[in-house]
Amino acid sequence: MTGGFEGSGLVKRYRRGAETVSALAGVDLQVDAGEFVALVGPSGSGKSTLLALLCGWETADEGILSYHGALADRRPDTLGWPELALVPQALGLVADLNLGDNVLLPARLRGTLATEEPRARDLLADFGLDHLVDRYPAQASLGEQQRVAVARALLLRPAVLLADEPTAHQDRGHADRLLDAVTDAARAGSAVLIATHDELAWARADRVLSMRDGHLTDGAPS
Amino acid sequence: MSRRLWRLPPWTRAPWLGLRQPAAVAAVLVTSAILACAVASAPLFLSSARSAALQQQLAPQCAEAGWVQAGFGSQQLTQNGVATGQLASANLDEVLAGAWREQGRASSPVLATAQLVGRYRGPDGATVVAPSGEPVSIQLSLFSRPGATEHVQVVDQQPGEGIWLPAGYAQNSGIALGDTITVADRPVDVVGLYTDLFTVDPGAYWCDYRLLYANDTSSNTPPPALGIVPDPATFHRLAAGYTVVEQIAQVPLDADRLSLTDARAVRAEQERAQQRAFALADDGRTFSLTNQRLATAADRAQLIESGLRGPVIPVAVAGALLALLLVAAAGSFWADRRASEVRLLAARGVGPVPLAGKAALELGLPALAGAALGWAASRLLIAGLGPADDLDPAATSAAVWAGVAAFVVGLGAASVVAGLRARGTAERPLGATPRWPAQVPWELALLAAAAWCWALLEGRDAIVSTGGVAQVNGLLVAFPLLGIAGAAVLLARLVTALLPRLRGWAGRRAPAVFLAVNRLTAARLATATLLVAVALPVAVLGYTATLTASSQTTLDAKVGVQIGATRAVISVSRFQSTAAIDAVGTYVVRYDGSALAPSQDGGSGDRTDVQVLAVDPDDFAGTAFWDDSFADQPLAELLAALDGPEVDGRVPVVAAGLSAGDPDLWLGSQALPAQVVAEARVLPGRRSADPVVMVAADRVPDVPRSAGAGRMAEVWTDGSIGPAIDSLVAAGGVDSRELQPDQVQTNANFLGITWTFGYLSALAVFVGVIAIGGLLLYLEARSRTRVSGYVMARRLGLSRAAHLRSLVVELAGVAVAGLVLGAVLAAGAVAVVNRRLDVDRLRPPTPLLDVPWTAVAATVAGAVVVAGLAALYAQRAADRADPATVLRDDA
Repeated sequence: MTGGFEGSGLVKRYRRGAETVSALAGVDLQVDAGEFVALVGPSGSGKSTLLALLCGWETADEGILSYHGALADRRPDTLGWPELALVPQALGLVADLNLGDNVLLPARLRGTLATEEPRARDLLADFGLDHLVDRYPAQASLGEQQRVAVARALLLRPAVLLADEPTAHQDRGHADRLLDAVTDAARAGSAVLIATHDELAWARADRVLSMRDGHLTDGAPS
Repeated sequence: MSRRLWRLPPWTRAPWLGLRQPAAVAAVLVTSAILACAVASAPLFLSSARSAALQQQLAPQCAEAGWVQAGFGSQQLTQNGVATGQLASANLDEVLAGAWREQGRASSPVLATAQLVGRYRGPDGATVVAPSGEPVSIQLSLFSRPGATEHVQVVDQQPGEGIWLPAGYAQNSGIALGDTITVADRPVDVVGLYTDLFTVDPGAYWCDYRLLYANDTSSNTPPPALGIVPDPATFHRLAAGYTVVEQIAQVPLDADRLSLTDARAVRAEQERAQQRAFALADDGRTFSLTNQRLATAADRAQLIESGLRGPVIPVAVAGALLALLLVAAAGSFWADRRASEVRLLAARGVGPVPLAGKAALELGLPALAGAALGWAASRLLIAGLGPADDLDPAATSAAVWAGVAAFVVGLGAASVVAGLRARGTAERPLGATPRWPAQVPWELALLAAAAWCWALLEGRDAIVSTGGVAQVNGLLVAFPLLGIAGAAVLLARLVTALLPRLRGWAGRRAPAVFLAVNRLTAARLATATLLVAVALPVAVLGYTATLTASSQTTLDAKVGVQIGATRAVISVSRFQSTAAIDAVGTYVVRYDGSALAPSQDGGSGDRTDVQVLAVDPDDFAGTAFWDDSFADQPLAELLAALDGPEVDGRVPVVAAGLSAGDPDLWLGSQALPAQVVAEARVLPGRRSADPVVMVAADRVPDVPRSAGAGRMAEVWTDGSIGPAIDSLVAAGGVDSRELQPDQVQTNANFLGITWTFGYLSALAVFVGVIAIGGLLLYLEARSRTRVSGYVMARRLGLSRAAHLRSLVVELAGVAVAGLVLGAVLAAGAVAVVNRRLDVDRLRPPTPLLDVPWTAVAATVAGAVVVAGLAALYAQRAADRADPATVLRDDA
């Protein structure tokens, strides 16, 4: 399954006491199937808000968000994991499942456990997690948990992959392996958008978008 | 903790910072309240039981039984039948009243030519001479008490001082209103006539003076006629001619509201009043009178309370320890809720002691409020559910101090646990195995203690009776409680140890089951705790409810067996059964017989006394008391066997307690060869230790009076006694006597047993409340990971319904497992204890088992409902979560 998405004039405002904060102040963007886009910008610039909006956890106050290809005419909050997978900032691992079951959970919930088990094993091995599958998230380091979250996102080869700082807690070697996997996903047809501070990720991306104060511009920040 | 640390904002602002965590505040408040309630309820309950025991001792007696009396008595010597002087006087009345006034009490006099106080020996009479000059054949006693003439049915009266006579007595003696008669040689006018008290229901006013006018014992010498003398001066003038005169001043008290402290205080006042009056008035010829019924009741109430202490105090301590665990868990919950701050502080080198101090400062206010609430709750619970709401002041003070102690100890425990957990959370390495204290099976110590109690109990009576008061041996309570607690923890440990295997099984099941089992497996300690928290109250409640019901059933059965049915009316008259008797019950003729059992060598053995019941097999089963445990066959089959053919001229009988073989029965000199066609362990109508033989009435030959067999005709009924008496009288029975349950049960006092199990049941409910509190803490403590997992799982494809199902499976699974575990433990404890819980070993049957299925069903329903509501609560909390916030901030 392939698909991309396009946003036009996306605005998102928050109330913070008496003040109204514009997290997104008219954002236009497009990410096509097979494209790997890096979203960069300082903390608080609106990156996470944009990702939340793209995955349907937030709704835009203004603007139009639409998905393409196989996802055409779908609202983001109705998209399943094979259609839109994400790695949130907080990772969202299920604390009561061990790392192996966390990776396999999307397949279990879709009834494709047996089919996806080999791929899960491969991903875990690729990310250096194969010896940790029986551990619970609380018994793993933050970096290990992060790699599990990425493996879970990649398991069903999603049409769209959104990731918020997926290499933030990785050493260089593991970060490279994660970026390789993300790049491979894009090459396989996924539309990939990752919010990142990692300059090496920028270099691996097909495009870089910069965000500052809710505004999005093409290219890396100066 | 260094002084500088104390001055930093995390400590100086701690009391207010704590309020920012409503869940932690609520947890500490509620758990502190539970702890304080557990601790404070014990002294309040014991005081309540003391008061109720006292009140229940006094309730069946006349109202004056609870009043205190001081008085004088005099027995005058007579010379040639004439009293030699007057000792009782109006002056002494005033002395008594004054002595009471000095104690701050208003008293009321009672004067009688009778012994009013102490062992009642009946009234003293004196000869009356009618106006005709003829002495009246029936003597007259005198009585004076304020309001006496207002509590009789007045036949006639006239103004003036004088005497009131029973109308029947006056008529038979030729005395009319206005006549002047001579009483003990002293003239007095007849100013009133009243209906004889023994012919009417005289009301409560006369309850304590019944022996003055009623011949309840059918004595050959009935009491003298009762002359009421309203004016004390006239009474004393006339009483001077009597041999026995007593005068008392009594202080009315409300026996329904007396506490033991009240009773003791008023007893002390009574002694002081009596001593004072005696010191003022004693001339060496009077003797002191004080009633002892209140003192006796108070001593008995104290005895009952002493019997309760043994079981209640260990139970209260056990409840308090459980509650303390919950408070400690609340401290741990605080550490979780304040994890970010305490981790930061711990990372900066703050040790567990300063962290515990910070926890104490933050949790102090809620703990204090909780302790106050707990004390108030215990007071309200005792007022609403306790045996009585009249508490000793000392008990209220003790409860206050218990609440204070609960606050201090609870806050200390919560703080220490919070400090240790806060520090441990920060320092604990990833994937570390549990510390050794969590792996030691401490519950084995409980089981060892239970075994020790059992060993001690083997050599002692489980139920002891002191002064007619049945008391539960404390070991009988401690042993099963320790055993249940230890076994519950051990079994929970074993069950949770099997969870990883269950996890493998769940991997092939639906997502709801998979998620539920994984949640239980991931938090095995919490699961085990929750399992114990469910199993323990279920087990204790099942145990106590079953034993309470079984004790009551056994008591009822003992009474039923003794009487034969619910009620009976018996007579020595000879009469036949009638349709009216058959309509109200069944007719039974009881013979005091004997049995000559065959010896082993074929000759005649020993003769033993037996009770032979000649019954009507057609309607006996419909009325007689029966429990299926009495025999291997149903009663109907036993009765049918009585209609069988005679073998070798022997009448078929059913026997209980008879040695083996066909006996030769003797009803006096009348032989009745019998063949035992069936045996029972117990037969209804057994009123002595003798064996009972049941035979069809139409198979018993006529037993003439000359045979010399004791014979009693009885009407057994399940209905009220009135129709049974009527039917017996209509059939020709005279001089009948009733057999009612309360007459049989008056021999012993079972309040101690009832209240012991009542308190245990309350403990079980209390533990249930703790379990619910623990469940909420469990849910709250895990809510963050649960919510975060839920919102992500929703994104992964988990439906809301599947998540709710997983919650139901998780919580209902624990509830059901806890119920089963608790039921098994309760059944085991009941099986071991019930056979030893014989409240009256002299009477059959031995303890019966009565499972209170309604309570069981209510417990099951309650647990399932609580689990369902908890699941809905958790689901609602998850539904309210904002995914964008949860998955952004929780990193």
